[in-house]
Amino acid sequence: MQLDAFQTLADPTRRRIVESLRKGERQVSEIVREAGIHQSGVSRHLGILHDSGFVTVRPEGQRRLYALRPEPFRELEGWLSQYRNLWEARLDRFGAALEHRRKARRPKK
Amino acid sequence: MTAVQNIVIERTYRATVQEIWDLWTTKDGFESWWGPEGFRVEVHELDARVGGALRYDMIASSPEAIEGMKRIGQPPVVKTHGKFSELKPRERLALTHVIDFFPGVTPYENTMVVELFPTGNSVRMAVTLSPMHDASFSQMQRDGLTSQLTKLDRRFAR
Repeated sequence: MQLDAFQTLADPTRRRIVESLRKGERQVSEIVREAGIHQSGVSRHLGILHDSGFVTVRPEGQRRLYALRPEPFRELEGWLSQYRNLWEARLDRFGAALEHRRKARRPKK
Repeated sequence: MTAVQNIVIERTYRATVQEIWDLWTTKDGFESWWGPEGFRVEVHELDARVGGALRYDMIASSPEAIEGMKRIGQPPVVKTHGKFSELKPRERLALTHVIDFFPGVTPYENTMVVELFPTGNSVRMAVTLSPMHDASFSQMQRDGLTSQLTKLDRRFAR
């Protein structure tokens, strides 16, 4: 799931759409204006975002309103914090290796 | 948006820039710390010049890591390669890895940037990572290996 989430957001156009939706519910014409993307592109990318669970849509009269779902973002956050933890630990080992080499080089200091 | 941003991890070490630089750009130095917890690294080629190659094996060495690799159907040795895509001695380097060892994942490149800032008798090191393009970890995580490694890493962390 996370892999798919990353692939979904790897596309810069979809990121612009997500940015626009972060301000609140939008209809397609508003996204087109805010993200500066052609209508046909927006529709296609909204479809992908919808299929991958990032976006919901609800009708209101003639309009269709799009909004973000929090779930995939929470998953990404969780994944990112694990990713960061792995790297923090890696740099702990970097520090330990550095210390070890310094001691080996200057044994009597 | 958090998910598309780079992650920057900073550390300050009481050492010279040369000592820190050596850990990234020499065979001995690189082998002394690189690799996920539970893995050791054997460097076959490390050419610290712009465009210079880096080739190494990541070898599962702890029983947990060996078991983890077995569980996701991977051999215990992962051949890894990349290059130094940028390099300014003792100041900055960019390391680009070719991630082509995950079955079913289209090969892609992932670049990390290392910058060193000497201040007095210590050096601040900033490592910039681009997790967006490192989705391979997700693949591993989905199969349970990374979460296990994270636990191990936590145990060994300060």
